[in-house]
Amino acid sequence: MNLTYAQLLETNNLIQQNTDETYWLCLTRTVQESKLFPVSPYMILSYFMCFYRYPALLRKIEQHMRAEDIGDRARNMGIKIQNPSMGWCLPSFYLLGREYLITMGLIRPQDAVEDVVYVMDFWKRYELAWHRNDGHLTNRDFGHRAQVLPERRLQIFHADMYDCVEGDPLHTAAQAFMAATSQYGFLVSCESRIALHNQGPYKLDDEREMIVRDFMDLAEGDYPWLDGVAADMPYNNLTVPMAVKGVHFNIIDDWGSFESQPEFKSEHVVGVGLYTSDTLSEGYIPVGMGSREELTRTFNELAEKAKDATNKLWKRIAGWSRDQMMDAGAITYFSIVKDLAHVAGCYEMEDWMLIDQRAERFRPLLNDEYSNMSLWEILGPLSNPCQRTNEYQLCQHANIPARMYSLIPYTILKDGDYTATVGDLQPGITYLPPKEDRYRTTRGVLPLADYNRHARDFTPTVCDDNNRWLCESWLKYHHDTPEAEALYRAEQQHSRVLKDKGAGLRRADVERLRGK
Amino acid sequence: MPRLYGDTDKFGEQNNTPVVEAFHGAIRALVRQKLAASGKSWNDFVFGDAVSGITAEDFLAIDQRLLDYGHRYVWSALVSQQERPEAYTAAQGVGEDLATFSFEHPEAPTAAVDAEGRELRGCGDNVVRYDEDLIGTARYVRSSATVLNYLQNGVPPGTIAVIDDSGGTLTAPILEQFTGVICAGGTVRSHLGILTREYGIPCFMNSKISGIREGDTVRLECTATAKTADAYQKGIEMTGRVWRLSK
Repeated sequence: MNLTYAQLLETNNLIQQNTDETYWLCLTRTVQESKLFPVSPYMILSYFMCFYRYPALLRKIEQHMRAEDIGDRARNMGIKIQNPSMGWCLPSFYLLGREYLITMGLIRPQDAVEDVVYVMDFWKRYELAWHRNDGHLTNRDFGHRAQVLPERRLQIFHADMYDCVEGDPLHTAAQAFMAATSQYGFLVSCESRIALHNQGPYKLDDEREMIVRDFMDLAEGDYPWLDGVAADMPYNNLTVPMAVKGVHFNIIDDWGSFESQPEFKSEHVVGVGLYTSDTLSEGYIPVGMGSREELTRTFNELAEKAKDATNKLWKRIAGWSRDQMMDAGAITYFSIVKDLAHVAGCYEMEDWMLIDQRAERFRPLLNDEYSNMSLWEILGPLSNPCQRTNEYQLCQHANIPARMYSLIPYTILKDGDYTATVGDLQPGITYLPPKEDRYRTTRGVLPLADYNRHARDFTPTVCDDNNRWLCESWLKYHHDTPEAEALYRAEQQHSRVLKDKGAGLRRADVERLRGK
Repeated sequence: MPRLYGDTDKFGEQNNTPVVEAFHGAIRALVRQKLAASGKSWNDFVFGDAVSGITAEDFLAIDQRLLDYGHRYVWSALVSQQERPEAYTAAQGVGEDLATFSFEHPEAPTAAVDAEGRELRGCGDNVVRYDEDLIGTARYVRSSATVLNYLQNGVPPGTIAVIDDSGGTLTAPILEQFTGVICAGGTVRSHLGILTREYGIPCFMNSKISGIREGDTVRLECTATAKTADAYQKGIEMTGRVWRLSK
């Protein structure tokens, strides 16, 4: 790679954007801890894994599919490469690993520079594609909002959702499902929130907004610890479009979580739907959406399955050693972007479900106290020596002379004193039992080889060469063309209310149709 | 001994916490030593000998050196303490000593019994505002063994779980059975806060309590204003009170 000044300027800007947002997220969103899992130790282990493995894995993925093309695919389904995975985790996990190594004296800010430039560029291209419809890089860039979906999909979510009010059977069932599945998601993800995602808000009328909630990686799939215990989970990913009344979602952040004004309560929910999707599906497939009664029954059944899987998984985890808990947590974090490889059809268990040996060597350092304190220092007071800047500086949100992630020095353009890369993939280990070759998909339970083959052979209709450039800007002026009609009808094929209604409907038309 | 890039840092100072400073200082010394021994330039060393020649055994020695000085690590996951009791501080209030255990926060607001028979024993950040205060029986839930017991035998009705784990996994299989939760850690945005909100269970996070024992009847002022993100960002106190009603 022939590094240019413009490349370094852009890379440093992307690094700085992550510095600013990470501080705000950590300050306002949560304190993540657990008496069950050694959370901070596994988080730090994962950061090392990300630093050593992401560059090679992302390059491997792009041999099959470009980052921006994967972003186009992900925009049309509810799989894990949304938030927090892509909006924040990909760059920040990688940069946190880099910063730890810098503060330990094991690398300099100008080491692995081509990797850093590449990872940040991959992230930028993916994010711009995923956010194509709202025109931003991140939710932060949009004032903490994510309006990712096109009109044709929003119309279907709007049209097909069933109204509900607090206390009725559907409302009660939907709430029970979301509570049980959220809890299951936290356990599957070893205390992290990465199985959950929210996007929006989308405006349904002057009183109602809709957010789209995703629950991901629920079934037997990539995680070895779900083998057996999740065998009865019939869907790997579930999406709940949720309409609320009397509430404005003022923050949807790059961790995929939300804030509202006034405070959101379940009584505000006035409409719900349910869908599944994955890299092998034609977008979102309705689940139990044939009637209100069927949807109520489906929510209740899925809530029971989530509770049953929670109990089984909890008992399994309660018997684990610390090393096994460390592995599961670190793998969960590190592999948060693994669906990039699924979309590209090049997923390999050895790439994503093992602890890289270069990261593994740090395990003896990662006791609870060092891990908690060092994580606090790197994310809170920014007190590692490498994070301090000159005394005139006031960093965003904290007003202290510090920067979370070190920038690349421009002197490398003059003296060439830098290293390019951490190198190729290296072997990994795990204390967990081996993964069984079963992957729940929308085409049934498949062995991995078939899963990859299907992924490579499949292009969703809305992403094919005829349709991928038919963007919202084009649609505004060409809704009356055969191309627009065909695109909308393709999206509407599973819609109860909008099937074959085409491209000419406005939001008020959809509202009238759903009332019939 | 060669100098590292960070050795000429104009603005950097020591880490804030002794364990972090001890570890990072020891690792930097190790890197200097290995770099000198390699005889290579930094660029040849950094992803060669610095990876293959700085090993888990080197890091284990750093860990052992701190223990040899008499330091014992503060644990956060119980499994860490149980697997290496010699390396961690003792775990209290998770086993048979529960009858005499109580959380003791130095900033817990306390007051004598008032005219209504309420003895103020602390406060917490209210996750969701409810129409009525909650009264129930305090029961500490701090270990997998306790959770497993309740999973097999059921959570007693009216239990207000007293927890120091703001996560959502330790209590995952029994959380739905709690009448209320007092959590000594986290914020209303922590996973436990998110889940109690979803389940409609009154919950105080970041609770500062004192003297509440297993089996005490307690009252949570969950009619208090729920704490907002803005309040956290601006450092505004916004709490509900915890009273003990009988002992």
